Amino acid sequence: MVSPESRKSEVSMTNNALRTNLADNVIIALQALKKGDMAIVENQKIFEVMEDIQAGHKIALESIAAGEKVYRYGEPIVEATRTINRGEWVHVHNTRPVPSDMTV
Amino acid sequence: MEFNGYAREHGGYGIRNHVLVICSVNCASGVAQAINRALPEVVPVINGYGCGSSGHDTVVMLRTLAGIANNPNVAAVLVIGLGCEGLGAEHLANSIKGKTVECLVIQRDGGSAATTKRGIELAGRFLSLARGQKRVPVPITKLVVGLECGGSDAFSGISANPAVGAAADLLVEAGATTILAETTEMIGTAHILRRRAATPELGEQIEKLVNNQEKKVRHALGEWAGMVITPGNIEGGLSSITEKSLGCIEKGGTTPINEIVGYACRPVQHGLVIMDTPGYDIDSMAGLAAGGAHIILFTTGRGTPAGFPAVPVIKVCSNSTTFKNMPGDIDVNAGTIIEENKSIEQVGQEIYKLMIRVANGELTCAEKNLSIPFNYLKEGPTF
Repeated sequence: MVSPESRKSEVSMTNNALRTNLADNVIIALQALKKGDMAIVENQKIFEVMEDIQAGHKIALESIAAGEKVYRYGEPIVEATRTINRGEWVHVHNTRPVPSDMTV
Repeated sequence: MEFNGYAREHGGYGIRNHVLVICSVNCASGVAQAINRALPEVVPVINGYGCGSSGHDTVVMLRTLAGIANNPNVAAVLVIGLGCEGLGAEHLANSIKGKTVECLVIQRDGGSAATTKRGIELAGRFLSLARGQKRVPVPITKLVVGLECGGSDAFSGISANPAVGAAADLLVEAGATTILAETTEMIGTAHILRRRAATPELGEQIEKLVNNQEKKVRHALGEWAGMVITPGNIEGGLSSITEKSLGCIEKGGTTPINEIVGYACRPVQHGLVIMDTPGYDIDSMAGLAAGGAHIILFTTGRGTPAGFPAVPVIKVCSNSTTFKNMPGDIDVNAGTIIEENKSIEQVGQEIYKLMIRVANGELTCAEKNLSIPFNYLKEGPTF
């Protein structure tokens, strides 16, 4: 006999990415993802990943225009230096530190 | 919510009833260690300095050593001095209040052998007194918990630090005090911490504190200042110092910052407090212990066995690989957030519940391993 718990675990998906705050426009890969993989956050498939992403790295949750800020933990962490499309890798190659963050 | 602790004379409560043997100068450490060999239950605090330091460093040294001896987890203290050192043993002993204190001085009391013999008698008596004391119910509002991270990895800011932050929020909600430390690891977030302060004045102080630390790092490291965000951090996915530091300050949770205290100083306020400590784990934990922390919640990614004298340290690991690679060193595996779909809140609850059990007497991994490295902040040269 299948208990309700085990039936639940059969249908639930393993999250492979995490959003640290509802205000964030990026998610964090919890494991290495391949181009074309579905990003799964809070047990929901949200979109296809556009390129290979290493564990711990950021993926755009929505399109981010050049000059717009990237939010993680609900706070601006860097700003985009070019348009970053949903599903793309977000890192030092397409962002820069927010100039006013280091004040000294 | 309550825990069972040991009542102290001045209204504080300890979660342990330790007898400390503390040397005022490193020259006296042989005697402290000999007493510890004879009485393994005592907690030795081996001071690496105690002489030849600047006035400023001596002030910090006295505040730190006295603060640790005054920590509520300590029932009684035996101070061992040499006699001619800069930081006098009697002076240290006089700074310890509200508990049994004795002081022996090797040059005065007949050399190492005689001082060790007398020390074993005294510490033995302290231990029997401590064993006889019973725990009493204590409201959780009396609990002070330090927050620390060391050997961080790319997952620290994803699993372990947010989970400790969730536990810190539960503590503050219950009326306890949490101390977020490591000013170096706040660089790049001064503007964010400023917003989180309980008052605008406090916000300005926080901003100044973090910016001064940034200045210090730039002055000390020059062109290497960028090392506060290392190539390894970038490889791990962190794009800026702000992102790295945000991951560190996640440990503090989401409640307002109610106070800033100097290194090894005691907070007066409840709720979330910031202490100005360096990023080096052992020096930072010394500040927290001297500030009266009963417990330290310590997150790690790479794994570290470090505990601290008299203060139970709970290790929370960011990933299951390290948890499995270092069995017996880590108390909580927050890697379950990554591999088992556990929520940050769930693991935060686990940490909170374990913390209450530890307050009631359950031993942490570092306590079982007797892992009690000791060191503290020293800024100037030795003369």
